[in-house]
This record gives sequence, C-alpha cells and structure tokens, in this order.
Amino acid sequence: MIQSVDRGLYIAASGMLAEQIRQDQIANDLANASTPGYKADRTAQREFGALLLANSTNGAQVGSQSTAVQVDNIQTDFTPKPSRDTGEPLDFAITGQGFFAVQTAQGVRYTRNGQFTVSPQGALVTPQGDPVLGRGGRTLQVGADGRVDPRALEVVQLTAPRKEGDNLVTGTPAGSAGTGQVRAGALEASGADAARSMVDMIASLRSFEAGQRVITTIDETLQKAANNVGTIGG
Amino acid sequence: MLEGLNTAAAGMAAQQSRIDAVANDLANANTTGYKHLRVGFRDLVYTQAGRSSAQGPRTGAGVAAIDAGRAFDQGALQRTDQPLDVAIQGEGFLRVKLADGSAALTRDGSLHVDGTGRLVTSSGAFVQPAMSLPAGTDPSSVIIGADGAVTAGGRSLGKLDLVSVRSPQALQPLGDNVFATTAASGAARPAPAATTLAQGALEASNTDVSDAMVTMIESQRSYQLTSKAIQTADQMWEIANGVKR
Repeated sequence: MIQSVDRGLYIAASGMLAEQIRQDQIANDLANASTPGYKADRTAQREFGALLLANSTNGAQVGSQSTAVQVDNIQTDFTPKPSRDTGEPLDFAITGQGFFAVQTAQGVRYTRNGQFTVSPQGALVTPQGDPVLGRGGRTLQVGADGRVDPRALEVVQLTAPRKEGDNLVTGTPAGSAGTGQVRAGALEASGADAARSMVDMIASLRSFEAGQRVITTIDETLQKAANNVGTIGG
Repeated sequence: MLEGLNTAAAGMAAQQSRIDAVANDLANANTTGYKHLRVGFRDLVYTQAGRSSAQGPRTGAGVAAIDAGRAFDQGALQRTDQPLDVAIQGEGFLRVKLADGSAALTRDGSLHVDGTGRLVTSSGAFVQPAMSLPAGTDPSSVIIGADGAVTAGGRSLGKLDLVSVRSPQALQPLGDNVFATTAASGAARPAPAATTLAQGALEASNTDVSDAMVTMIESQRSYQLTSKAIQTADQMWEIANGVKR
C-alpha cells in the first residue's frame, strides 16, 4: 500500500525536475531572441520505463504504470528563418539551407550568424576574431571598399548539426549542394519565437505547480495513514 | 537547479548593452563625422541539463553582447557653404595634433581659425601639417582643394594631411570626434587617391535614426520578455519551497 503511494511521490518529483530543464531551455531561447541566426530548441519528454502491476493476492494483471518522466532530448529547429536588411556591408545572411564555415582554434566550426567584422590584418572574421572561410577553405580579405563579395563565402550543408555556443555549430560537412544564396547587408532573424516561448513557459510553470500539488497531496495521505489509521473513535 | 534564472539575467544584461550603444548612436545623430556602433550577440556555452548521462539533453547558458566594431560607411554630406568646412569623401581621416601634443585622426572637418590665426578643428586640435592664415585674411578667400591643398588669397598655405589606417575598426576613440591609432589598427599611412575633400560641406553622422529607434524598441521588448523568464523561475522556486509545509 505505502509502496505505491511512495511511487507517486517520485513520479511527481521527476516531472518537476523535467519541467526545470524545460524552463532553462525556454529562458535560453528568450535570452537569444535578438541573436542573429540563433536556432530555437524544443524539449521532448519521455516515460522513464513502465512497471507491470499485478494484484498481489490473485496475481491478476492490473496494467502498466510509468515510473517517472525524464527529458529525452532537446531538439534544435535548424530551419532557415527570414532575414532582415541591415545595410551593413559585413553583415551576411544565407537565404535557404547551409552554414558559413569558420576556422576556430578547435577546428572548423559552422554558423548562421553572419555578423562579421574585419580583423587588424584585413581578413573577414567573426566578432570573436575567428576567420571566416571562403570557397576552397581560404580566408577572405576585405576589399579596399570595405566589402566582401557574398558569392566568395563558403556555404556548406551539415549532417547532425549541434549547437556549441558562441553562435557556432558542429557537424559533419555534407557538401554545398542545395545550399542557399548569401546576401550581403542582411542578417538572419533569431529562431526564438517570443510568443511560443511565453506560452511554453506558462504551461511548464503550471505543470511544475501540478507536480508540487501531487507531492503535497500524497504527503497528506501518508500523514493520515501514519497518524489516523488504527486510531479508534478518531 | 533552475539555471534559467542566470540565463535570463544574461539576456537582460546583453539587451542593456545594446540599448547603451543605441543611446550613444542616437545622442550622436547630429555629430559631424560620427560612426555608429555595431553590437552583436552570441549564445553562450551549452551544458548537460540535470543529472542525465553524457548523451543527455543540453541547455544553453544565455547570451552575451559582442562589440562588432564601428560601421565606417560614408555619412551623408551636408552643405554648409562655410569656406573652412571640409567633408572627407571615401575612407580616411584628417591628421591632427591634440593640445597635449599627441597625434590623432578625425573625420570632423569643421575647421576654425584660432586667436593666433592657426587652423584648428572644432575641438581645438591643430590640423597637420600646422598652418596659419596670414593676419587679415578673409576666411571666404580660403580655397581647399579636393586633394587638401589650402590656398588663401592666391597664396599656398600647405596641404591637409589625409591618412588612412589598415583597420579603422581597431582605432581607439578618444572622444571629441578624434581617434588614436593602436597596434591593431596599424600606423597612419597616406590615404588612397580616391579619398577627396569637399569644401563647404560636412559629413553627417552615419547613425540611421529610424534603424536605431527600431533596435531600441526591439531591445526593450526583449528585455521585458526575458524578465518574465526570471519571474517564472522565481515562482518555480516558490512552488518548490511549498513542497514542505
């Protein structure tokens, strides 16, 4: 008897933990609502594994019951977003699929944030100072007019892209077939959708609250069981 | 637990940096030769969420504002018809000497004559090479050529020094519309021949007021939304506290 009530306690707690992770993910999306080329995340939850319940006296099966919930994975939505004009010569946006290639100290990384600048040596770099790669993997020099031909920038497709911070993405390059065109003087909008994030945030908060109610209710039940069961005359 | 609180705080701080930059751009919307700032954003590191395994879900730690330098595109030329006003067309700067003797660069070409006849910028920096108008010269008789050659009443006074640097982004702004060269910007060298001076005009600030307003509204809304994430995280703490009564 107590054992099954106890199980409910842990299921509710696992739900609250999963909502915390979802809340962290939503906060990150909202914080990046202005980051060019940012790709929004979505948290997926799954059951932790089910138990087959049986009647302990006659052995008849009652049905299965989940033991907990956990965050399965956080999926990133890499679909291209619309770009907006900035008029800055060193802002670039890819209209369509693909990523810019950047030479970092950790190796080649990829990004869809095309807000670049010029290094002291005259090369096209990210604001963190990593050179942007052109066709054939060469670095690009900014022309005397302060511009770079958008067609000279390398754009590659990635399989299994994964965000790693600093606007960078890792993945396995898969050629440049089917990639979009690069436009200068534009930046891709952030993939974070403020309205959806707000709705998710409210839903997650209420779920969290419901989990707490379940815990307090079970707590009350256990209290009754411990204090009242067995007393005569209440 | 609830890293979202810090994540959202990082978002608010980043938006605040952008508002500061936009406020500076707007305040300088009428500053001669002003070049507006470029602010970018980068998402922060992604780490394991909760206590799951190495392949588990990862959540990001928020955002930071990054300085993407200044936009050195040409500002619009404004006709002033003042003989001592010059606007630089194309890349480059006027070389000047500050009151403390150090060398600097400026694109502010609203020149004046000081009490002793020397040619100075609006903030009192001396143009280089130093030149003085002879006593009694009518400023309207001064002619400044496209290459910087200054003549007054048919007499040549010298040639304004037009210079450029390898990386204008890396110049150090000193205020008063002047910049100092740094190791990263490279030393001043003669400006390309395409750079010319236009007499009787000034270069307006390249701040686009409507763009700046849109950026400001967007930043303000982002700031509000992110603050909601902080409120929500706070409510979650409260709910969690309510588990044990």
